[in-house]
Amino acid sequence: MTRIFTVTELNERIMDRLENDPRLQDLWARGEISNFVYHRSGHRYFTLKDRDSQLPCVLFRTQGVRLDFEMKDGQNLLVFGDISVYKPQGRVQLLVRGVKLDFGLGFRHLEFEAVKKKLASEGLFDAERKKALPKYPERIGIVTSPDGAALRDVLRIIGYYPAQIILSPALVQGEGADASIALAVRALRGRTDIVIVCRGGGSAEDLWCFNSEIVARAIVECDSPVISAVGHETDVTIADFAADVRAATPTAAAELAVPNMDELRALIDLTQTRMVRALWSGLERKREHLEYLERCFSSRRMYSLVTESRQRLDYLEESLARAEMERLKLLRSRLQMAGAGLAAVGPAATLSRGYAIAKSTRGLILRAEDAKAGDVLELILAEGRLICQVLDIKKQK
Amino acid sequence: MSEDKIGLEEALDDLERIVAELEEGKLSLEESLSLFEKGMRLVGLCNAKLEFAEQKIESLTGDLPSDL
Repeated sequence: MTRIFTVTELNERIMDRLENDPRLQDLWARGEISNFVYHRSGHRYFTLKDRDSQLPCVLFRTQGVRLDFEMKDGQNLLVFGDISVYKPQGRVQLLVRGVKLDFGLGFRHLEFEAVKKKLASEGLFDAERKKALPKYPERIGIVTSPDGAALRDVLRIIGYYPAQIILSPALVQGEGADASIALAVRALRGRTDIVIVCRGGGSAEDLWCFNSEIVARAIVECDSPVISAVGHETDVTIADFAADVRAATPTAAAELAVPNMDELRALIDLTQTRMVRALWSGLERKREHLEYLERCFSSRRMYSLVTESRQRLDYLEESLARAEMERLKLLRSRLQMAGAGLAAVGPAATLSRGYAIAKSTRGLILRAEDAKAGDVLELILAEGRLICQVLDIKKQK
Repeated sequence: MSEDKIGLEEALDDLERIVAELEEGKLSLEESLSLFEKGMRLVGLCNAKLEFAEQKIESLTGDLPSDL
């Protein structure tokens, strides 16, 4: 049986088939909005898509009046409705009757999480891999679009800070942007002390290239520290995890990269002041020491030293004299005592009993031979003395 | 490295060391003075670097937008 359809007939048959299939009615679908058009008529047209496929959708004005949020590209949605066929174009579409924002994981989000997990498991985001930013970089690399506002923001902040700025231009959105960024980062190898990878604000779609694995790897492999600044404060990309420091905006990135010029000048001024002060206080200390030494040698001090010595001498002299007197007194009393003792054993008592002591010029005469005939002797009596001459000597037999 | 070739970072680091040493106050007068002179030269150097700086930009691809 061969039947030739008109286009209308064929579309009607498809329509009949699809619109009467309960599996394609009253259904929920999940996806991301793109090509969103809010038509003058009040109808909303958009495409619902995931990584590999897309489907046209219509939300008619009457169904859309209860919508409690603004629909726009990039949102993840849960939609409720029926499959239908738009006969004039033979187009299969979803007639949407209900819309909810999907706060669950959109496919983009899943992809993001997958890349993040993979790179994290390789240790690429580890804190110990992060390089410290140089305090005073002399060569600053910037990876961004030469035409973007981000570059101008960065240059404005760097201002007249004395450094060589090296722009490594890159596409920062659209097809091939990820490869372009990775290449631009690698091109800076060996040329910089710090690298800023940046881009101004944009849709999640625009920023997507910064979530690519090759960009992350290029950043991790960069030989100088990398600051990433993609989009606004709330936009966090894989590049941010890979970078050594994440800045909220390109402006913030530049502020992190270079010291503030006013603060730097103030620091140098302060250093100078401290140096002068330290030198002066050093001199002051030496001067004080000198003055101290000077005081030690002053004439008054010397005079008082002399007086002091003289007094000491006088005192010593006095003590010495006193000690000498004491010694003499002691000796004298010992002499008296010895005299009394001697008297007791002396010759006076014997002489008074009639004995005499004979002496010559050579000493006492105890034996006859102590004298010679003709010697003059002295005889000591109890009272008085006799001077005699020896006539003869008779030795005892 | 001769003094006028050193970078800002090195100059500032040197200055920091010099100040610390002077403030410690253990040096002889001659040493203090010569260190002080060196410090003042570095201060002059840093100031010169900051004063005469102008933005130096180059592009790896050679072209720069005319408004930069």
